[in-house]
Amino acid sequence: MKNNLAERRAERRWTQADLAAALGVSRQTVISIEREKFDPSLPLAFLIARTFGCAIEDIFTAE
Amino acid sequence: MSKVSFTSKRAPIHHYVLAVILGAILTIAVALLVGASNPGDFWLAAGIGALCAVYPAMSLGIKVFVSRHTVTRDPHGEQSVELQWMRQAGAGAFLDVLVATIVAALVLTIGRLEIDALPVLLGLVGLSAVDAGLRYVAIRHRALK
Repeated sequence: MKNNLAERRAERRWTQADLAAALGVSRQTVISIEREKFDPSLPLAFLIARTFGCAIEDIFTAE
Repeated sequence: MSKVSFTSKRAPIHHYVLAVILGAILTIAVALLVGASNPGDFWLAAGIGALCAVYPAMSLGIKVFVSRHTVTRDPHGEQSVELQWMRQAGAGAFLDVLVATIVAALVLTIGRLEIDALPVLLGLVGLSAVDAGLRYVAIRHRALK
Protein backbone atom coordinates (compact mmCIF):
# COMPACT_ATOMS: atom_id res chain seq x y z
CA MET A 1 0.00 0.00 0.00
CA LYS A 2 1.11 3.51 -0.74
CA ASN A 3 0.70 6.14 1.96
CA ASN A 4 1.36 9.78 2.70
CA LEU A 5 2.10 9.27 6.36
CA ALA A 6 5.50 10.98 6.21
CA GLU A 7 4.01 14.12 4.61
CA ARG A 8 1.17 14.27 7.12
CA ARG A 9 3.58 13.79 9.98
CA ALA A 10 5.88 16.49 8.63
CA GLU A 11 2.94 18.92 8.32
CA ARG A 12 2.41 18.57 12.05
CA ARG A 13 6.14 18.77 12.74
CA TRP A 14 6.06 15.48 14.56
CA THR A 15 9.09 13.26 14.75
CA GLN A 16 8.77 9.58 14.04
CA ALA A 17 9.21 9.02 17.75
CA ASP A 18 6.32 11.43 18.51
CA LEU A 19 4.01 9.58 16.15
CA ALA A 20 5.15 6.20 17.47
CA ALA A 21 4.38 7.34 21.01
CA ALA A 22 0.96 8.64 19.94
CA LEU A 23 0.17 5.32 18.28
CA GLY A 24 1.68 3.17 21.01
CA VAL A 25 4.02 1.36 18.62
CA SER A 26 7.77 1.30 18.10
CA ARG A 27 9.59 3.93 16.03
CA GLN A 28 10.71 1.15 13.68
CA THR A 29 7.04 0.46 12.96
CA VAL A 30 6.48 4.08 11.91
CA ILE A 31 9.66 4.04 9.79
CA SER A 32 8.59 0.81 8.08
CA ILE A 33 5.09 2.11 7.33
CA GLU A 34 6.43 5.39 5.92
CA ARG A 35 8.85 3.48 3.67
CA GLU A 36 5.96 1.26 2.60
CA LYS A 37 7.76 -1.84 3.78
CA PHE A 38 5.09 -2.73 6.33
CA ASP A 39 1.33 -2.65 5.89
CA PRO A 40 -0.26 -1.81 9.22
CA SER A 41 -3.05 -3.96 10.61
CA LEU A 42 -6.59 -2.63 10.25
CA PRO A 43 -6.79 -1.52 13.91
CA LEU A 44 -3.50 0.36 13.54
CA ALA A 45 -4.64 1.94 10.25
CA PHE A 46 -7.81 3.14 11.98
CA LEU A 47 -5.72 4.50 14.86
CA ILE A 48 -3.44 6.35 12.43
CA ALA A 49 -6.43 7.85 10.63
CA ARG A 50 -8.01 8.89 13.93
CA THR A 51 -4.72 10.45 15.06
CA PHE A 52 -4.61 12.61 11.93
CA GLY A 53 -8.37 13.29 11.98
CA CYS A 54 -9.08 11.83 8.56
CA ALA A 55 -10.27 8.66 6.86
CA ILE A 56 -8.03 5.66 6.25
CA GLU A 57 -8.27 6.14 2.47
CA ASP A 58 -6.94 9.69 2.84
CA ILE A 59 -3.66 8.22 4.08
CA PHE A 60 -3.47 4.76 2.50
CA THR A 61 -4.15 3.90 -1.12
CA ALA A 62 -3.91 0.55 -2.85
CA GLU A 63 -1.07 0.33 -5.35
CA MET B 1 2.39 -13.26 20.99
CA SER B 2 2.52 -9.65 22.07
CA LYS B 3 5.13 -7.33 23.42
CA VAL B 4 5.37 -6.49 27.07
CA SER B 5 6.73 -3.45 28.82
CA PHE B 6 8.45 -3.32 32.17
CA THR B 7 7.13 -1.08 34.87
CA SER B 8 8.82 0.45 37.89
CA LYS B 9 6.43 -1.48 40.15
CA ARG B 10 7.70 -4.12 42.51
CA ALA B 11 6.00 -7.31 43.56
CA PRO B 12 5.25 -7.97 47.25
CA ILE B 13 8.37 -9.30 48.94
CA HIS B 14 6.88 -12.73 49.64
CA HIS B 15 6.41 -13.23 45.87
CA TYR B 16 10.18 -12.88 45.40
CA VAL B 17 10.66 -15.43 48.20
CA LEU B 18 8.20 -17.83 46.51
CA ALA B 19 10.02 -17.36 43.19
CA VAL B 20 13.35 -18.27 44.79
CA ILE B 21 11.80 -21.26 46.58
CA LEU B 22 10.25 -22.58 43.34
CA GLY B 23 13.53 -22.01 41.51
CA ALA B 24 15.48 -23.80 44.24
CA ILE B 25 13.08 -26.77 44.28
CA LEU B 26 13.27 -27.17 40.51
CA THR B 27 17.06 -26.78 40.54
CA ILE B 28 17.46 -29.43 43.25
CA ALA B 29 15.05 -31.76 41.43
CA VAL B 30 17.02 -31.49 38.20
CA ALA B 31 20.31 -31.89 40.06
CA LEU B 32 19.05 -35.04 41.78
CA LEU B 33 17.80 -36.48 38.48
CA VAL B 34 21.10 -35.81 36.73
CA GLY B 35 23.06 -37.11 39.71
CA ALA B 36 20.95 -40.28 39.89
CA SER B 37 21.59 -40.95 36.21
CA ASN B 38 25.37 -40.91 36.93
CA PRO B 39 25.72 -42.83 40.19
CA GLY B 40 29.50 -43.19 39.74
CA ASP B 41 29.98 -39.43 39.90
CA PHE B 42 26.83 -38.35 41.71
CA TRP B 43 27.99 -35.03 43.15
CA LEU B 44 29.83 -33.89 40.02
CA ALA B 45 26.84 -34.73 37.81
CA ALA B 46 24.40 -33.17 40.26
CA GLY B 47 26.52 -30.02 40.40
CA ILE B 48 26.60 -29.70 36.62
CA GLY B 49 22.86 -30.37 36.48
CA ALA B 50 22.26 -27.69 39.10
CA LEU B 51 24.42 -25.17 37.22
CA CYS B 52 22.48 -25.83 34.03
CA ALA B 53 19.08 -25.69 35.73
CA VAL B 54 19.45 -22.76 38.11
CA TYR B 55 18.96 -19.96 35.57
CA PRO B 56 15.86 -21.35 33.81
CA ALA B 57 14.40 -22.52 37.13
CA MET B 58 14.79 -19.10 38.76
CA SER B 59 13.45 -17.45 35.60
CA LEU B 60 10.38 -19.67 35.78
CA GLY B 61 9.92 -18.75 39.42
CA ILE B 62 10.09 -15.05 38.57
CA LYS B 63 7.72 -15.54 35.63
CA VAL B 64 5.16 -17.32 37.82
CA PHE B 65 5.28 -15.16 40.94
CA VAL B 66 6.84 -11.77 40.06
CA SER B 67 6.24 -10.87 36.42
CA ARG B 68 2.53 -10.20 36.72
CA HIS B 69 3.36 -7.40 39.17
CA THR B 70 6.29 -5.89 37.28
CA VAL B 71 5.42 -6.43 33.61
CA THR B 72 2.36 -5.14 31.79
CA ARG B 73 1.07 -6.31 28.43
CA ASP B 74 1.54 -3.77 25.63
CA PRO B 75 -1.93 -3.30 24.09
CA HIS B 76 -0.41 -2.35 20.73
CA GLY B 77 2.33 -4.97 20.72
CA GLU B 78 0.56 -6.98 18.01
CA GLN B 79 0.63 -3.94 15.72
CA SER B 80 4.40 -3.45 15.75
CA VAL B 81 6.61 -4.37 12.84
CA GLU B 82 8.97 -6.25 15.15
CA LEU B 83 6.35 -8.97 15.55
CA GLN B 84 6.28 -9.45 11.78
CA TRP B 85 10.10 -9.59 11.70
CA MET B 86 10.10 -12.22 14.46
CA ARG B 87 7.51 -14.31 12.63
CA GLN B 88 9.45 -14.10 9.36
CA ALA B 89 12.70 -14.99 11.12
CA GLY B 90 11.07 -17.89 12.97
CA ALA B 91 9.44 -19.27 9.82
CA GLY B 92 12.70 -19.01 7.87
CA ALA B 93 14.69 -20.64 10.65
CA PHE B 94 12.16 -23.48 10.85
CA LEU B 95 12.59 -24.21 7.14
CA ASP B 96 16.39 -24.02 7.45
CA VAL B 97 16.39 -26.49 10.34
CA LEU B 98 13.99 -28.76 8.45
CA VAL B 99 16.23 -28.78 5.37
CA ALA B 100 19.38 -29.27 7.48
CA THR B 101 17.74 -32.18 9.31
CA ILE B 102 16.65 -33.83 6.06
CA VAL B 103 20.08 -33.41 4.48
CA ALA B 104 21.83 -34.71 7.60
CA ALA B 105 19.47 -37.70 7.76
CA LEU B 106 20.15 -38.47 4.10
CA VAL B 107 23.91 -38.26 4.58
CA LEU B 108 23.76 -40.53 7.62
CA THR B 109 21.52 -43.01 5.83
CA ILE B 110 23.50 -43.13 2.60
CA GLY B 111 26.86 -43.12 4.36
CA ARG B 112 25.64 -45.67 6.92
CA LEU B 113 27.14 -43.48 9.63
CA GLU B 114 26.28 -43.71 13.29
CA ILE B 115 26.63 -40.75 15.62
CA ASP B 116 25.38 -39.91 19.12
CA ALA B 117 21.98 -38.26 19.24
CA LEU B 118 22.84 -35.73 21.96
CA PRO B 119 25.37 -33.64 19.98
CA VAL B 120 23.00 -33.65 17.02
CA LEU B 121 20.07 -32.44 19.12
CA LEU B 122 22.21 -29.77 20.76
CA GLY B 123 23.42 -28.74 17.32
CA LEU B 124 19.84 -28.39 16.13
CA VAL B 125 18.99 -26.22 19.11
CA GLY B 126 22.03 -24.03 18.43
CA LEU B 127 21.34 -23.86 14.71
CA SER B 128 17.72 -22.83 15.17
CA ALA B 129 18.57 -20.15 17.74
CA VAL B 130 21.48 -18.68 15.75
CA ASP B 131 19.56 -18.92 12.47
CA ALA B 132 16.49 -17.14 13.86
CA GLY B 133 18.68 -14.45 15.44
CA LEU B 134 20.69 -13.82 12.28
CA ARG B 135 17.56 -13.78 10.15
CA TYR B 136 15.94 -11.25 12.49
CA VAL B 137 18.98 -8.97 12.30
CA ALA B 138 19.07 -9.29 8.49
CA ILE B 139 15.34 -8.60 8.07
CA ARG B 140 15.55 -5.62 10.41
CA HIS B 141 18.60 -4.24 8.60
CA ARG B 142 16.91 -4.63 5.20
CA ALA B 143 13.74 -2.93 6.42
CA LEU B 144 15.46 0.06 7.99
CA LYS B 145 18.29 0.76 5.56
